[in-house]
Amino acid sequence: MTDPTPHDDVLAQRIRSGDREALGVLYDRYASLALAAALRVVADREVAEDLVHDAFVAVWCKIDKFDPGRGSLRSWLLTVVRNRAIDRVRGARKTIEVGEADAQSLLRSGPNPTWEAAVQRLSVADLRGAIEALPGEQRQAIELAYFAGHTYREIATITGVPQGTANGRLRLALNKLRDTLASSTAAPLGAPEPLPVREADR
Amino acid sequence: MTGPMGPLDHAAVDELGAAFALGALEPDELRAVIEHLESCPEPHAELRSFLGAGDVLAASLEPMAPSTGLRDRLMGTIAATPQADVRVPTPVAPSAAPAVEPRRGGLLDWLSPNLARGLAAAAVIVAIAFGIWNVSLLGQLSARDRALQAVAQALQGGKTAFRVNPNGFNAPSGYLVADSSGQASLIVGGLAPLEGNKLYELWLIGPDNKPVAVGTFVPSSEEVAVVPLERSISGFTTFAVTAETHRVDAPTLPILMSAKLTS
Repeated sequence: MTDPTPHDDVLAQRIRSGDREALGVLYDRYASLALAAALRVVADREVAEDLVHDAFVAVWCKIDKFDPGRGSLRSWLLTVVRNRAIDRVRGARKTIEVGEADAQSLLRSGPNPTWEAAVQRLSVADLRGAIEALPGEQRQAIELAYFAGHTYREIATITGVPQGTANGRLRLALNKLRDTLASSTAAPLGAPEPLPVREADR
Repeated sequence: MTGPMGPLDHAAVDELGAAFALGALEPDELRAVIEHLESCPEPHAELRSFLGAGDVLAASLEPMAPSTGLRDRLMGTIAATPQADVRVPTPVAPSAAPAVEPRRGGLLDWLSPNLARGLAAAAVIVAIAFGIWNVSLLGQLSARDRALQAVAQALQGGKTAFRVNPNGFNAPSGYLVADSSGQASLIVGGLAPLEGNKLYELWLIGPDNKPVAVGTFVPSSEEVAVVPLERSISGFTTFAVTAETHRVDAPTLPILMSAKLTS
């Protein structure tokens, strides 16, 4: 009998074997989250749905590139959605190609315990609460970076502060957010072993 | 800071760690950070502790249910998309050259549906057809008229269309209506069923001249066929229709109908 609630890793294996139903399960599980992420960036529901569609198709086609040792399937999917959304926004503005922003995901040595635990254990409201507890300028900085796809230099221009200040706000924000979430979830912080770096397998 | 960057030291990489994790570095900085990490024996623990932070930001959003048809559309697409087929449609040339070499491929195969010029030209054609359709309202709507009506309605919804012409084949013209992402449907009225239980098969052909099957259909006589294509038209240059005894991976000539997808 098919497991009605298979783990994401099981889904990934099934998708890798060509199981379309597994992709459907993945869609049912994360499409609403993916749509929220896309919509937050592009602010157009039709465009956001197209992005979600294309992201799931990408997962289907490129599942052989997914390495569960470097992160969760959910995280991988959301990275795809977010980067495509940013690409779309950037394209509309005729600005630079930002596809390389995805490189950070390629450098993951594994799921970071803090962030992963927070996503697994905390509610949407709790996560939002942790973000909203950041000082306003720090929250603004990480939202401009992640949801609007701005570089810290652009954030500096937008917010009228020196580049070092904008970059510093990102750093302060993530340090504070990580510590807050770590205390909320009692999850260990990132292990200090060396960071293995892999060439982009694409 | 402008221009190519030199090598970064440990402290500089650590300073850029949060921006790195959030994808907020300029391309030259990103490249420099990656180059450093590729050869650096240091753990860069803080930078590493930031990786994955974006997941929390994404997870802090209130989930939003997609439209009911999106799942069916997705499942239709993947049903026609072999996993082994890693070829992706070549995006239409962007309007502005990227400042850095794109690292596309893999999961960054964004299907850039920059079809504006071609679609705009096609829209003019359809607008003319729409005018003809208005005239035809004086009489009873034929299947072809209803097809045009469907096209017009699609255009009113912000979509555009390419005219699909019969290639010496006794068939009406149709339209390939596409949305901004390149998702498209063939709309054709009055297309006769084929003899011998054959079906119509739809193809997209790119600059490499390799046809990709994107669906089949069997029309009912005098009915309007609206057939969603199973993949985006982005990057393809030609749409074609053939007659087949069953769904096949390579088209059987002749091409019955076709449309040029570029301006």
